[in-house]
Amino acid sequence: MEENTDWEPRIVGFLCKWCSYAGADLAGISRKKYPANIRIIKVPCSGRVDPLFVLKALRLGFDGVLVSGCHPGDCHYQTGNYRNRRRFAITKKLLESMGVDPRRVQASWVSASEGGKFVEVITKMIDEIKEIGPNEMFTDDKRKQLQ
Amino acid sequence: MIKENNCNKLIEEAKNLLKQGKVQRIIGFEKGSLRFTVTPLITSDTDAAERLVINPFIVNNLSNFLTGLKGKTAIVAKGCDSRSIVSLIQDNKVKREDVVILGIPCNGIIDLAKVEKLTGIDKDKIDNISLNGDKVLVSFNGGKKEFATTEVLFDNCLACDMPTPTEYDVLIGEAIKPKPPVSQDKLNELKEKLPAERWLYWQEQFSHCIRCYACRSVCPACFCTRCFAEENKPQWLSPTPHWQDNLLFQITRSIHLAGRCTDCGECERACPVNIPLRSLTKEMYDIVDDVFDYKAGTDKEDAPLMASYESEEAEDLFL
Repeated sequence: MEENTDWEPRIVGFLCKWCSYAGADLAGISRKKYPANIRIIKVPCSGRVDPLFVLKALRLGFDGVLVSGCHPGDCHYQTGNYRNRRRFAITKKLLESMGVDPRRVQASWVSASEGGKFVEVITKMIDEIKEIGPNEMFTDDKRKQLQ
Repeated sequence: MIKENNCNKLIEEAKNLLKQGKVQRIIGFEKGSLRFTVTPLITSDTDAAERLVINPFIVNNLSNFLTGLKGKTAIVAKGCDSRSIVSLIQDNKVKREDVVILGIPCNGIIDLAKVEKLTGIDKDKIDNISLNGDKVLVSFNGGKKEFATTEVLFDNCLACDMPTPTEYDVLIGEAIKPKPPVSQDKLNELKEKLPAERWLYWQEQFSHCIRCYACRSVCPACFCTRCFAEENKPQWLSPTPHWQDNLLFQITRSIHLAGRCTDCGECERACPVNIPLRSLTKEMYDIVDDVFDYKAGTDKEDAPLMASYESEEAEDLFL
């Protein structure tokens, strides 16, 4: 990280169309500022997010992944976010146990009226990832150093 | 203790089932071509059922053969295998009425590689191995050596929490109470590593992977007819065995196994390059137990873990 001071984290956010995406929209409409390091992908429901999406994003070199949806009980499809919660929990726990920093993989509940919370979540996540440094999980560098 | 007379009881039971036409076939074990080993026996012939055996070497999880079978099947199942069958029933892969489960209470399976390592001689030169309580007696070269079962059983057997089948039609032998799990160096060493070291460890391990998919083929919970690894629109993984994709494949496989894996240990045994796969699947097994208080294959009426939810759980993981 020392030699590359220009490094800015890139994170990908899978936001549910009904809540978190609208929340992000609200943050924009309210002219709230949040770091521009997030690339947002709109999904129909947080239940649409397959753990593979998270893993693939890390594999592609994103420094962090955020999955965000409606608060429990508020899902447009009744139970999508509950399903996401189980899937996400095991994904995060497994990655953590394998040595991945859990702060790289985050999930949140942000409703359509919580523009402020969306800003908070993104700001916190970007700050934390700046602390951890770039995602080198799938680069060959460390292994080469080892050999 | 798995005894010889239980063997006869099994043969009798299997023959009756076949004779009365209650099942079309029986899946069990027969003596293998290598010393001490067993091989799966799948037969509809009453005479061939004579060859069925039960001994402390019946290692394979036969429930893998059940998916896709038509008609009724009798199957020999140890504790972990019966849980795999229940898990398949939960996933609608097998109908309960289509299987007759011949349950075998199991004291653990002897790892021949461990015996060879301890005695320092090839299994072909060993005269006899017998399991007796918590001792294993190995006789060779006219001499005898005694080992504690904790030294020679498979790692997953030492962590077994359900030695008696959870679901069965006939129990061959008497129910066994689970023993306290034995602390395992292989898993502990990994847990003691720093996170960065752990990730490096897995990088190193998966650089050996040749993506033969033996782990997938041998796993009863890997029942998909089309695996995500072969999908090409979008392509999740490169088919060439780069360590990155090997690792991604196995992480995803572990995620798909959440609530299905019964810690039978078949993936690790099947691996031709000796990747400690069980260290990963056991991790998921424990996560599922910790977070959702769920153990795979204990109740056939339960919905599969990932197809159900509680209104409040795992909230500490969400911002």
